[in-house]
Amino acid sequence: MAMNKNKYEVKGARSTFRLVLRELGYFFKGAALNIFSPEFLVVFIPLLGLWEALPRLGAVPRTLVPPPSDVAMAFWEMLTVRNFLGDVASSMLKFFMGLGIAIIAAIPIGVLMGWNIAVRKRTLPLFQLLSPIPPPAWVPITIILFGIGLPMQTFLIFLGAFYPILFNTYQAVKDTDPRYLSSARVFGASELTLILHVYFWHAIGAIIMSVKTGVAMGLVMLVIAEMYGGRTGIGYVLNEAKDYFQISRMVVCMVTLGVIGWFLIEVLKFVELKLAVWKGVR
Amino acid sequence: MIEARNVSKFFSVVNEDRTADGITAVLSVSLTVEDGKILSLLGPSGCGKSTFLEILGGLQAPTEGSVYIDGVQVLEPLPSTRKEMDDYRRKYKFLSPLANSMFKNRPKHDIAMIFQDYAVFPWMTVLQNVVFALKLRDIPRREREAKAMIYLKKTGLADSLSKYPAQLSGGMRQRLALARALAVDPRIILMDEPFAAVDMLTRERLQDDLLRLWNETGITIILVTHDINEALYLSDEIVVFSANPGSIRNRFPIETPRPRRRSDPDLLVLGQRIEALFKYDINHESEYSI
Repeated sequence: MAMNKNKYEVKGARSTFRLVLRELGYFFKGAALNIFSPEFLVVFIPLLGLWEALPRLGAVPRTLVPPPSDVAMAFWEMLTVRNFLGDVASSMLKFFMGLGIAIIAAIPIGVLMGWNIAVRKRTLPLFQLLSPIPPPAWVPITIILFGIGLPMQTFLIFLGAFYPILFNTYQAVKDTDPRYLSSARVFGASELTLILHVYFWHAIGAIIMSVKTGVAMGLVMLVIAEMYGGRTGIGYVLNEAKDYFQISRMVVCMVTLGVIGWFLIEVLKFVELKLAVWKGVR
Repeated sequence: MIEARNVSKFFSVVNEDRTADGITAVLSVSLTVEDGKILSLLGPSGCGKSTFLEILGGLQAPTEGSVYIDGVQVLEPLPSTRKEMDDYRRKYKFLSPLANSMFKNRPKHDIAMIFQDYAVFPWMTVLQNVVFALKLRDIPRREREAKAMIYLKKTGLADSLSKYPAQLSGGMRQRLALARALAVDPRIILMDEPFAAVDMLTRERLQDDLLRLWNETGITIILVTHDINEALYLSDEIVVFSANPGSIRNRFPIETPRPRRRSDPDLLVLGQRIEALFKYDINHESEYSI
């Protein structure tokens, strides 16, 4: 065993870097293969072709349904003239702040609620009362409290992502198989050890699943928050395009949001694969 | 030494028509187990023997009576009066009585437990499972792996250290559970139908493994089983449970010296007697219910 350890130490930082590169390679390959698989391309390319052809042939009015080529042109124009990447970056900043705070807050609270009935009885009713309020209903009061800007948008995204993560985590932790708890307790595990080594790992699949839901809800709230206030962001560009009736720009924003959502889900799938290794092996 | 004094366990259940019913899982069982013995609790399914084992292990509190391991009470009985209930709440606050403590890993008693469905952690590899158990017993970090390896070698798992339990066969998983239980050097091992889920050949091999390891370590083993032959082959004493309510029906000490043969005539005769007991109980019950 000691020899093994030495071997790892000698390898050092360079091999770690190489390992990270290799894992990244696996990730992008896996993600790309989902979209560019022959099976899906057979469906996807004709769909694109149809979308291109129908407006061009005049089957649908071209002013209302821009073909993909127009959308691509609009995308290029937005990138070069309007600094669209800046908007995307600003949106992502808000999004990750909101989602990050939601994850950091919801997972520990959810785990504690699932772990102990005393904690659950004191906190769960509060969340059950608050969670049915649709997050968009929070917009007016948030604007009054935080003003228009980053804190308000972050808070709204946080609200969207918080409840799904909280409730799924809580449920999964609560449903932990009592056999595992018993066997750890007989060995002398403290409650903290149980939380860190048993409850959490037993629930990890459901927790990652809930973060996926959180991502979806967070994107919804991102668009809503940016439409209501602020001067940057994808939602703002979308709203602006509506005012000027630039349909291809709207489509660019929508497609961008779709790609971001897809990418984040792929990232989470990869995280799940890495964290829940034991689920994949047979 | 394990000592159970008048242990009873009652459950209440709510029927479909919202009436309540009481179930007596264990009724006033008294039992003493000497150090270094193998004792089998034998009985039909649902006769309360597993519940009794969990009470011995401190995973369930008895309704009445108490269990002592080396003179220390395992879990106090559940409260029955309002005053007792208040005391109980004040004593345990928000932690359940089953919990060891909040932050410090510390077993209440020097026991290990093996379950029918293994209960090895599927998110840890073979080695990690054993190392985790050692960590819970406060073994210093650098000694853990070496110690785990000793027992993994003894149970023939040294080649699959980095495998996950899902990649192991049923027999190997049970051996892992055995290695994990033995690695912490317990004085008592409680086993709940440990070999019920594996095929017969594997079961016999596991029984031999268990006997060999028991010979080396001299621990006390309490084994819950519904397999008469297993009980005969392994134990120093067989305690036969009867169902409804679960209580001790008969006790059979076995003096046949080890190593035993499975086809030993004395054992077979005793086995037939126990089987006859079971059959009598079943017939009697059906007569009664008609």
